[in-house]
Amino acid sequence: MILDRVTRFLTAPESDSFAELALAAFAWQLERIEPYRRMCERRGVTPETVRDWRQVPPVPAAAFKSLTLAAEPAVEVFRSSGTTDAAGELRSVHHQPFPDLYRQVIDASFPRFCLPYTSGGRLPILSLIPSREQLPDSSLSFMADHILKQYGTPESATTFGARGVEAAKARSWAGSRQREGRPVLVLATAFALAQWLEALERLGLKFRLPPGSAIFETGGFKGKTTELTREDLLARVQDWLSVPSDFVVREYGMTELTSQCYTRALLGGDPDLFVAPHWVRVRLLDPETLEEVPAGTPGLIAVLDLANLGSAVHLLTEDLGVAEGEGFRLLGRAAGAELRGCSLVVEELRS
Amino acid sequence: MLRDAFLPASLAPRDQPHFRAVERPVRYDSARWTPEGLGKVVAALHEGAAALREIPAEDLLAAWGDTVAVFQRSTSLERRAVDPALVRLCGLSRDGLTAGLDAVLGGVRREPAAALFAQAGRAAPEDAGPVLAVLASNLPALAVQPLLPALILRRPVLLKSPSAEPLFAAAFLAALARREPRLAGAVAAAAWPGGDADLEAPVLARVGTVLAYGERKALEDLERRAPGKVVSYGPKTSLAVIGSGVEPREAAEGLARDIALFDQRGCLSVAAVYTAGDAAALAERLSAALLDFARRWPPGSAARTVMAAVQHQRLEAEMHGLWQSSLPLRDGTVIVDPDPTLRLSPGLRTVRVHPLEDLARLPGLLEPWRGRLQGVAMVGEDALGLEPRLAELGVSRFAAPGELQSPDASWHNGGINPLEALTSPWKPAPYR
Repeated sequence: MILDRVTRFLTAPESDSFAELALAAFAWQLERIEPYRRMCERRGVTPETVRDWRQVPPVPAAAFKSLTLAAEPAVEVFRSSGTTDAAGELRSVHHQPFPDLYRQVIDASFPRFCLPYTSGGRLPILSLIPSREQLPDSSLSFMADHILKQYGTPESATTFGARGVEAAKARSWAGSRQREGRPVLVLATAFALAQWLEALERLGLKFRLPPGSAIFETGGFKGKTTELTREDLLARVQDWLSVPSDFVVREYGMTELTSQCYTRALLGGDPDLFVAPHWVRVRLLDPETLEEVPAGTPGLIAVLDLANLGSAVHLLTEDLGVAEGEGFRLLGRAAGAELRGCSLVVEELRS
Repeated sequence: MLRDAFLPASLAPRDQPHFRAVERPVRYDSARWTPEGLGKVVAALHEGAAALREIPAEDLLAAWGDTVAVFQRSTSLERRAVDPALVRLCGLSRDGLTAGLDAVLGGVRREPAAALFAQAGRAAPEDAGPVLAVLASNLPALAVQPLLPALILRRPVLLKSPSAEPLFAAAFLAALARREPRLAGAVAAAAWPGGDADLEAPVLARVGTVLAYGERKALEDLERRAPGKVVSYGPKTSLAVIGSGVEPREAAEGLARDIALFDQRGCLSVAAVYTAGDAAALAERLSAALLDFARRWPPGSAARTVMAAVQHQRLEAEMHGLWQSSLPLRDGTVIVDPDPTLRLSPGLRTVRVHPLEDLARLPGLLEPWRGRLQGVAMVGEDALGLEPRLAELGVSRFAAPGELQSPDASWHNGGINPLEALTSPWKPAPYR
């Protein structure tokens, strides 16, 4: 079965071929996801006409806001945290039938990019991401929960409360770990990290997290009100936590996907260049023609994620990026529909 | 060389800012402002008020009418001086710019301006102080809308141009002052980074009223820093309602104009069409009309982010199996959407046509948008009958298709009487 093949491929890339798996996954989804089948039928696209994974019609991320895209009954339902206001802005909903596959994806990629020095061992983790109890429909909380269970020592903690980052608890946690001298990992959205750093700055409290400590950062500022640039954020991480910028790993993921891309900061790589795991291919498409653009030319990010078997293996994201070397850089987001005279862009959050 | 500022004639040479050439992306001379410098501009405007009050209405109207006429003529020296820059700065095609300027300036030409003069009666109180107009960057030439009522009421004006298009206001004031030198001491235009509290403090302290166009966050910030002075023109959207007996052919041409003008960047740009008639037939006609407008007013440059957003709307519609036009991406997108929920347009002349058999349902459907609707293009008896209920939702302009984006000087933008906004203590309505 395709699920087994994909699962095996995560840890044994030699067991299969990405191209063949992509076509098999496409055929499998075509059979099971009605809106997708209808779209392909209207285009005259069938498994027989698609010879290359690049020809698999991508599903627009926007479709997750208005259609149920599920190959099998959902076991988890993840929702983006974009606002659902009275004026009709919708949240993306990802019906995830394969949460175990999601866990396996995390296990096959997260340690490689975020824990290269632990040799599979555990370490103290501080999560500034809402817990599963707080946000049961958040894919990011699902991921953080799994990471804490799988890779965290008993001292690990989540310090995110109903009103955001619990700065005092986070402070106390960091103080204890500083005294112990063991490297730690902080999981955070950029916004939560900025919030915590602001709190430390207000108190004038600087930590020297033990050498080797790292930060997993995801999600940009997600439309929140902070004006902090990424450069400022990294400078503050260095100033207030003593974590150098090359120990800040960025993650690129979204509610609509199952896999994540990471920067290779901890492996000596470019701290802003995202690379995909071997079961994911990322291409940049011209937003006007949807043709692939050459490296160096900005385009819309399209992701073929074999692990997104339950919904849409080929996803056209709303993000703009530029391909470079073996990875891509993130440039920004497609404009939202807006009221005129303003930029009332309701940016979607990956929650 | 074009300049991004027009300084009041009474500003002493020693108080004038230093200019330096910039290339953003067109070359012009840009003033370097300090808080003191801007404060002196407003002080000079105070001094120019007396001369402004002495100008007879007919002289002011004549100068105004001539200046507007000159800027409406694309072959005039004034237009030839600014057009190449405006095309690049605004990202509109040359023909699109001409059409847009014609629509905005047409509304303040001599006749409608005279009507507003007549309505005004007398000048504002002497102590009303200068007016600061903070202009938005989405459309060129919007400076004329706050400028006219302020001058009619003989209040000095400082136009704060958007950084993205800092040239039109200065060029217009220069042309106006050439025709009526007595107002040269009472008008100014300048561009500076909006939201710079230090820079703006002396200005906000010394003006009597702030007319502010722009995004909600910027407006709220201004209201906080100039309490009681700000009249906000916040972000809004517009739509069209087509009655049951209306021939699609009849409505489509006008709708296409209301969509295509300014490349759909205005608050009066139509983003959605509700029809009690044959939605598919209307959509087809509209699609053909948009193609025609793409030839007449070629679309301007399009940001990748906007193209990406339109692609998403197209692909999503395809997944839903909705009818959609097959126009090139930049020329326009028409989607027939049976879901009557109003959705904003990402731009690039993108519009949804919603079939709605019973138009009487529309005000209820639009209730969530109360206070955020600007205009409605309407035709057909059942459509026209909705006007009172839509007005109650905050719609401030009703017009036949094709006329929506051409309001005249007396239009109550956002429901705000342009003269009363400058003569009465103004209590801004909450945005939502």
